[in-house]
Amino acid sequence: MKGRAVKLREAHKSSSPALCSAAWGPGGQHVVTASAADTAVLIHDAAALLAGGRGSGLAPLTMIRLHKDGVTALAIAPGAGGSLASGSIDHSVKFFTFPEGKFQSNVARFTLPIRSLAFNKKGTLLAAAGDDDGIKLIATIDNTISKVLKGHKGSVTGLAFDPKNDYLASVDSFGTVMYWDLCIGGEARTLSRVAPTFRSDNSVRNMLCWSPDGQTLAVPGLRNNVVLYDRDTGEEVSTLKGDHEQPVCSLCWSPNGRYLATAGLDRQVLVWDVKSRQDIERQKFDERICSLAWKPDGNSLLLIDVMGRFGIWESVIPSTMKSPTEGIPDLNSTKVSLFDDDDDDDEKPCTSGGLEDDIDESLSDSAPLSHKRLKRKSTFDGYSEDEDLIHQLDSSKRMKDKHKDKKKDTEKANNDSATSGRLVTARMQAAFQPGSTLPQFGMRNFLAYNMLGSITTIENEGHSHVEVDFHDTGRGPRVPSMTDYFGFTMAALNESGSVFANPCKGDKNMSTLMYRPFDSWAGNSEWSMRFEGEEVKAVALGAGWVAAVTNLNFVRIFTEGGLQMHILSVSGPVVTAAGHGDQLAIVSHASDCLPSGDQVLDVKVFNISERAQSLSGRLLLTPSSQLSWFGFSENGQLSSYDSKGTLRVFSSQFGGSWLPLFSSVKARKSDDESHWVVGLDANNIFCILCKHPQSYPQVMPKPVLTIFELSFPIASSDLGANSLENEFMMRKLHLSQIQNKMDEMAALGLDTTAYEDEAFNMEAGLDRCILRLISSCCSGDKLVRATELAKLLTLEKSMKGALTLVTRLKLPMLQEKFSSILEERMLNDRKVAGAVGFCSNATIKRLTTYETPPSKLVQNGNNLLGSPSPIPKPGNHESSLTEPKKPEAEQARGNNTLKASPSPAFTPLAKVSKNSETKRDKIGASNATVVDQNKKGGMDQNGARKMSTEDCNRTELQRPVNPFAKSSSSKEQSPSLLDSIKKMNVETEKVEKPNSKKVKV
Amino acid sequence: MAGQSDPHLSIFSPSEVEFVAEDEIVDIVPNIRMDALNMICGDFGPFFPQIPTKVPLWLAVALKKRGKCTIRTPDWMTLDRLTQVLEAERESPREFQPLPFHYIEISKLLFDHARDDISDAYLVRSLIEDIRDVRFHKVETGLETISGRTHAVKLKNLSAMEVNIVRPFMVRTLQAFYKHDSPQMIQQADNAGSRSTPVDRGPRVSLHF
Repeated sequence: MKGRAVKLREAHKSSSPALCSAAWGPGGQHVVTASAADTAVLIHDAAALLAGGRGSGLAPLTMIRLHKDGVTALAIAPGAGGSLASGSIDHSVKFFTFPEGKFQSNVARFTLPIRSLAFNKKGTLLAAAGDDDGIKLIATIDNTISKVLKGHKGSVTGLAFDPKNDYLASVDSFGTVMYWDLCIGGEARTLSRVAPTFRSDNSVRNMLCWSPDGQTLAVPGLRNNVVLYDRDTGEEVSTLKGDHEQPVCSLCWSPNGRYLATAGLDRQVLVWDVKSRQDIERQKFDERICSLAWKPDGNSLLLIDVMGRFGIWESVIPSTMKSPTEGIPDLNSTKVSLFDDDDDDDEKPCTSGGLEDDIDESLSDSAPLSHKRLKRKSTFDGYSEDEDLIHQLDSSKRMKDKHKDKKKDTEKANNDSATSGRLVTARMQAAFQPGSTLPQFGMRNFLAYNMLGSITTIENEGHSHVEVDFHDTGRGPRVPSMTDYFGFTMAALNESGSVFANPCKGDKNMSTLMYRPFDSWAGNSEWSMRFEGEEVKAVALGAGWVAAVTNLNFVRIFTEGGLQMHILSVSGPVVTAAGHGDQLAIVSHASDCLPSGDQVLDVKVFNISERAQSLSGRLLLTPSSQLSWFGFSENGQLSSYDSKGTLRVFSSQFGGSWLPLFSSVKARKSDDESHWVVGLDANNIFCILCKHPQSYPQVMPKPVLTIFELSFPIASSDLGANSLENEFMMRKLHLSQIQNKMDEMAALGLDTTAYEDEAFNMEAGLDRCILRLISSCCSGDKLVRATELAKLLTLEKSMKGALTLVTRLKLPMLQEKFSSILEERMLNDRKVAGAVGFCSNATIKRLTTYETPPSKLVQNGNNLLGSPSPIPKPGNHESSLTEPKKPEAEQARGNNTLKASPSPAFTPLAKVSKNSETKRDKIGASNATVVDQNKKGGMDQNGARKMSTEDCNRTELQRPVNPFAKSSSSKEQSPSLLDSIKKMNVETEKVEKPNSKKVKV
Repeated sequence: MAGQSDPHLSIFSPSEVEFVAEDEIVDIVPNIRMDALNMICGDFGPFFPQIPTKVPLWLAVALKKRGKCTIRTPDWMTLDRLTQVLEAERESPREFQPLPFHYIEISKLLFDHARDDISDAYLVRSLIEDIRDVRFHKVETGLETISGRTHAVKLKNLSAMEVNIVRPFMVRTLQAFYKHDSPQMIQQADNAGSRSTPVDRGPRVSLHF
């Protein structure tokens, strides 16, 4: 049975054949047409077209005349508020609102005419291509070009997004079809010259079309047929061969994928039943039909011929056959919103029946169906990426290749979200070397880049050239470049040598580990190890050792000379490893990542020389980010940097915690900048600034390091002194780091003098910072905060300074508070001093730790301080006043200080030595305390013990030992402080009175 | 005209101007670790490999000669910026574009000593030469407009070398105009004229650069 002849009506006048395009609006209520011979884009009302005026000149609803030349391509974004994209010979792609046809924006400009446009299923991406050599992928949310896909030799005439959003298929005028993987943004496969070649004739173009379920791709064939290719393999599935006498130039799937309409150069339009591979309908026209579009929700076909005349072929599929809208595969929740709900129901009266029928159909059809059912059950208020993902993951169990699909789905989500500005990675991240960049064809890339130097490689005809460069050309050894036949992909570098490793590639090329020392007394001291059935995943270097972590989760530790020292197992697949001195840190996956994309990573730190594990715990990352750099700072602090741009430094505070000390987002000047971390020291982070499309540095030109100060993400407080608050926290952190170091040194029985000076300077700096904070608190009327700050002051002198400050600011309440704090401190000191006479050394220490420890130190410090430095007279006066009143027994420890204060002629040198004696006493004492506390039980946890030792050590270290340090510190105190101290006579006396009383009692 | 003016009339020789220009601060990227240098003119450094530092041009050149650093091309010496400046110079015949006061000297020193650090060195060089020519031409045409009524000429954004070339000639010209114009001078033309001219620079002669 032949259908009625379709009458065409003129829309775009043209004298010669020109490529015309036509498309349906998302709801099927509008029709858009354009012609390469006309600058206008016309939007017609479909209902009016069908109802009346067949043949009569019905004016289009809207006429858009903004292009300067003929319009060659149209695409309409799905969804109710979809927009219309048009591409033209004038090299531009423009966006319009739909159906109003108001100009929105110029999306992209090309250097040559546009030939094809396509939106993806969600309307988040627009692909545009033409005579240029690249397909531009444009994120519609902000009109940015997210990717340019290059590979076609001819002009690209057909583009189609896979409905599942994994692939983009494109065909060029030579008939070459390419699949592009949207996840990796590269070519997936190429089918060379499978479609007809239309080289010079611009009025014909090659097209291609994905079936609505995404399983097959229909491409015009070389033998006047249509070839269906498989989605994943690119293999030919079937061909539709029939009555076309000339090549097919346009084709279109019915909404359910059951039928296919094709138009050939022989002026015929055929409709095929794809399952039976038979043509069921045909029509012959006067002119070639160059564009076809199936109504998204009905049984009609929109046609336009090369002369710019278009028409709608109604009831294409005879009523005896299944409707072309039955059982539309629903891959995406957004597809539902594509139609108005009412329409949806009206147009599909037999939905349930259709569904049942469909279940009998081939396996490939049933999978997407399950998607649909799941979707229907759940209520979707808005579009949620994660939920969608979970559903897809569930339903993907039915798929043949479960794993593969899951991966793809996640990748798809990844890709989609990347274009819409969010990054969701729901995959366990692969192993990487910190400071390495991705290999690029024909370019050098970094295998390792750290604060010391870099290792770069370039592949050249089967082998690579590896170069080692030191940043400091004056000092580092000169390393000859190396020809690498293994294909090393991992490397690490330190002062003494470099280590390389390659993954295994097949059976022939085994994974190899190679070590090259830079400087050795013996010749030929480089060595290599081969691993059979094992693959190196990460390497690290330290002082005299080399470590390799393999895919069997082994940690292999070698000496510098190549001796196999240890082989350990780690808990999961390794992510990365880093070495510093004796420490080896290994990051491994603890489990599969969370659905939100959070990586679950474990970190372990080993001490190689002591064969100890100094840390084991979770590595913390920003939600849904990946680890992108990992290593030690210059001073040996473990640090990590994630893909969201947050740097975390490990600190032993709170029993081991990660402190966020740098945020790339806050540091960047514009949005397209990113920071590629190289290393950090105590105060600064060193990174390379990368501008948008690149997220990692190139070898040439040599990257330049940028320095940023480490800072806490301080909340903006009502005080308005964020930088001060940040300084306060940073100094506290440094102080605790120094104290930790001193603990370690003290535990080893080494001299800690240098650190003590440093600690004292740090304390003085902290106090200065606190004083400034107090002053800003006072001016901000935050008196409670000021008092809290005052309690944190360590040096007595600064305490007095604070007192003067509030006196000057005329804050009597604070003055009272501060003096009572000072009083309390002095009282505590007295108590301690008194206790000395009666108790053993160890108990004094413990008492000190329980009472406010700093106060005692301050007192001691002051005593010591008073004698050699002539400047702070009041202090001197005070100490000499108070000391005789002290209970006679300060013997154990205070002897030296007592002697020191009355005899100013005492040489500083002698004093230092004596002090060191007392120090040693104290180390003993602190040890005793530890034991004591342990015996008392309950508190034998690691942290608690550390705390106690720390406190004990604090007691010793806070006493300034070096008289030079003291004098310098007194110089450092601001002159106002000195003034204040002079003026403080009155107050100190006031303070002293009650003190002395109590002492007497 | 200006370019051909007698070199003996210049107050500074070009090499002296270049010497002055060597105090300009430039960015370098050292490839050595070195402590801070304490100079009379200030402290520079400390130097860390691959971390940019600001030093005077003479120090940069000295380090560059020893292969201890690369000099970063100043912002204004990029191809884009120079192209813009050249266009703007050509478009506005009465104004000079803001360029560093010592742009000729700096670019010459960089081309002499740090050619490998400048991207598109050849193009940049020809652009700078074009800009210089355009500006000199402007100065020349500007000078032609000076007539007997002019006592002061306002020249904004003129660079050191350009000023140096036209200064002696211009100052004398203006002085001469001033002298011949003032009624007092006309009266005393016979006796005092020749004596006072070289000393009297004239308070009204003001050059704004």
